[in-house]
Amino acid sequence: MKLASKDLLDIESLSPGEIELILDTATSFKDVSERTIKKVPTLRGRTVINLFFEPSTRTRVSFELAGKRLSADTINVSASGSSVSKGETLLDTVRNLQAMSPDVIVMRHGSSGAPHAVAKRVDAAVVNAGDGMHEHPTQGLLDAYTIREAKKRLSGLKVVIVGDLLHSRVFRSNLRLLTKMGAHVIITGPPTLIPPHVAKLGAEVAPTMDDAIANADVVMMLRVQKERMEGAFFPSVREYFRLYALTVARVERAKPDAIIMHPGPLNRGLEIDSSVADGPYSLILDQVTNGVAVRMAVLYLLTGGHGGLGQDKPPEGARA
Amino acid sequence: MSRLVVRGARVVDPSQGIDEVADLVLQDGLVESVGSAVGGAGSADEVLDAKGLVAVPGFIDIHVHLREPGFEYKETIASGSHAAVAGGFTAVAAMANTDPPNDSAAVTEFILRKAAQANRARIYPIGALTRGMKGAELSEMGEMVEAGAVAMSDDGLPVEDINVMRRAMEYATIFDIPVIEHCETPQLHPGGVMNEGYWSTALGLRGIPRASEEISVDRNIVLAELTGARFHVAHLSTSGALRRVQEAKTRGLPVSCEVTPHHLILTDESVSSYNTSAKMKPPLVTESDRAALLQGLADGTVDAIATDHAPHHADEKAEDFDHAPFGIVGLETAVSLCLDRLVRPGVISLSRLVELMSTGPARVLGLPGGTLKVGAPADVTLLDLEKHVRVDPETFVSRGRNTPFAGWELTGSAAATLVNGRIVWSSAL
Repeated sequence: MKLASKDLLDIESLSPGEIELILDTATSFKDVSERTIKKVPTLRGRTVINLFFEPSTRTRVSFELAGKRLSADTINVSASGSSVSKGETLLDTVRNLQAMSPDVIVMRHGSSGAPHAVAKRVDAAVVNAGDGMHEHPTQGLLDAYTIREAKKRLSGLKVVIVGDLLHSRVFRSNLRLLTKMGAHVIITGPPTLIPPHVAKLGAEVAPTMDDAIANADVVMMLRVQKERMEGAFFPSVREYFRLYALTVARVERAKPDAIIMHPGPLNRGLEIDSSVADGPYSLILDQVTNGVAVRMAVLYLLTGGHGGLGQDKPPEGARA
Repeated sequence: MSRLVVRGARVVDPSQGIDEVADLVLQDGLVESVGSAVGGAGSADEVLDAKGLVAVPGFIDIHVHLREPGFEYKETIASGSHAAVAGGFTAVAAMANTDPPNDSAAVTEFILRKAAQANRARIYPIGALTRGMKGAELSEMGEMVEAGAVAMSDDGLPVEDINVMRRAMEYATIFDIPVIEHCETPQLHPGGVMNEGYWSTALGLRGIPRASEEISVDRNIVLAELTGARFHVAHLSTSGALRRVQEAKTRGLPVSCEVTPHHLILTDESVSSYNTSAKMKPPLVTESDRAALLQGLADGTVDAIATDHAPHHADEKAEDFDHAPFGIVGLETAVSLCLDRLVRPGVISLSRLVELMSTGPARVLGLPGGTLKVGAPADVTLLDLEKHVRVDPETFVSRGRNTPFAGWELTGSAAATLVNGRIVWSSAL
C-alpha cells in the first residue's frame, strides 16, 4: 500500500487508512533508532532537502536524522544566508532546488499554504514541516503515534488541547487527525485565542480549563506563540498561568492514567508547570523520540516504499 | 462627423422605459433618434446590422485600477481602456492609487492625455482624497476637478483618521462630488488576508472580520450626515454594511454603494485551495452575505455594479497566499458573469442590469451617459444574450490574468462597443 498523493501537505487530505499505514510503518522504523548502528540502506542514493524558511531546531534535526538513518543524502537550507534573503521569490528558490533533482523537499514556511503552492510546481515529494498557522502534519502523526503507543488506541479517547489554538498548526493537524480516528477532542483557552467556527472542524469548546480536563485520557498543552501575536491576547503571563496552565492540581482532575503532551518548545511557568512537564505522566520526550520514526516512515512511503530495513525484512507496515 | 445607424436591435433603456426592437441613429457623437423605420438610411450612412442583439446605454465601470503611471507592468491606460471596450464598457473611472498617486492636476491631465491617445473607452479620473494618499492632509481637489476629476477617493486604503475624513467630506461639498471610501478598519485585523470564518480557521489564514467593513461604513455614514457630503461605498460586500446603507437611504442621506460581480457570485470557499486569484479586498464572504447582496440588487439598495478591476502580474500572484497582492481583474468577465449568473436565472431583469451597469453608475458619479435619450452621448453597448463564452485569461486584452473565473462557461456577452458614435470594439473584428 502506498500514499495516494506524491506529497504530505496536511492531515486533512489523508484517509484514516493512510494514517494507520504511516503509524504502522513508523513502528517498524522505531526499532532502527534503538540499535547500536542506527542506519539502514533504504534510501541510499536518494536526496532529501530540508528547506526551512522559519527557525527550527527540533523538527529540522528530527527530519535530518530520519533521512540520515535511512541513508539518504540530506541537505539543510535555511532562509537566512540563502538566495531568499537576496529577494528571490519562493517559487524561484524551489525551482532551482528542483533543477538539482531532489527526491524529497521537506519545507517549513511562515505562510499557510506555501508548501501547497510549491508542491504543484515541482516533481519532488513535498513534506510540509509546518506552514504558518495551517498544519504540521508530521507533528500530528507523531503525537498520534505517541498516544497509540501509550493507550493502544485512538478511537474513543478524550483528548484535551489547551492554549493558543488560534496560531497553532499543531492544533489543526491534531484536531483533524484525532477526529478522523474517532477520538473526542475538547479544547479550551482564552477566547481571544480560539479560532472562529472551530466547532465545525469537530472540536468541542469547554468554557474553563477545569471543565475541559475532567476525565481526560490525554492532555495536550500548546506553546503560547509570542512571536505570532500582534496585540494583546491576554493580560499577563501571571494571569495566563492562573487560568490555563497545566498544574499538578489540574492534572489530578484528569483520569488517573492520563498522559501529558506538549509539542515543544516549552514555556515553563507559562503554559505548563515544570513539575508536570518533568513528571511521571509526561510523554514530552517520547514525542521527540517517536518523531524520528514517524518521519522515517513518511520519507520511506513517499519515496515509493521500496527497500528493507537492513535485515532482509520489509517493514511491517508495508503489508497489505 | 459621420452618421451611424444601429439597425434592428432590441433596445433596452430603463432611463426611458424602452424595451423594443428599434433603429438607433447616432450622429456627431450624440443619439439622434431611437425608433422604428426612421425613413431609411441615407446613402452616406454607415449601417450596423444588429438584428438579434440587444442595444443598451453604454456600460460604465466606476471602479477600475489602470495602474498607470507607475505600475505599467500590471496595466496601462491603453491596455486597460482596450480591455474595457472589449468587455462592453464605454467608460471607466480610474482610481487614484498609482505612483505617483493622482493627487494633482498634473497627474489627472496625464491620465486624460493617455486616455485620448488610447482613444477607446472614456476615462474619468478619480482624484486622491488626501495628499499622497497618506490620509493626513487634504489633496488639492479644486484643481483636480477643474482638470477633469469626477470624484475623490483613497481607494485601496481607508482614511483611518476620522477627523481627516470629516474635513475631506466637508471640503468635497464645494464641488458637489462624491467621496468614495474603501470601507475597512485595518486596526481590527492585523495581517488579515481573507474573511474571518470557518475557512480562515481551516486554512490557518489570518481573518478579516465582516465588522471591519461595517464599522467603516457606519462611521462614514455618520460623517456624511454631519457634513452633508455625497458618500459612496466602494465594493460593498457584507449584509451588515448593506443594511446600514439601506437605512441611510431611507433617511434620505446622499449615500450610494456599488458591489462587484465576484462578491455577487463567489464566497470565501473559493479560497479553499489557497487560490490567490480569490484573494481581494474586501474579501469574499459568506453565502448569507451573497444572498443579501443579490436582494440589494433586486430591491434597489445597490446603485451600481463595478468590477474593482485590479490587474497584477502573474509572478506576484504566484507568491504564497499571505504575500500575493489583493485584487482580481474584472473588465473582461463582468458582462458575461452578470448576464449568466444574474439575468439568466432571473435574479434581476435585463433592464435592471442596465440600470446597475449604466444608468446607476452615471448617476452616482454625475457622468454624461447612462441613457439613450435624444441628445445623450452616443455610447452604446451591444449584447449577444445567447453567445457561449469560456473564460480564457490567455485571451484577455488586459495585462492582468488574475481571475478566479478561468475556465468558466457562460452564456451571454458583449458583442460590440460604441463610444462617441464610433465602433471601438466588436467581437467580429
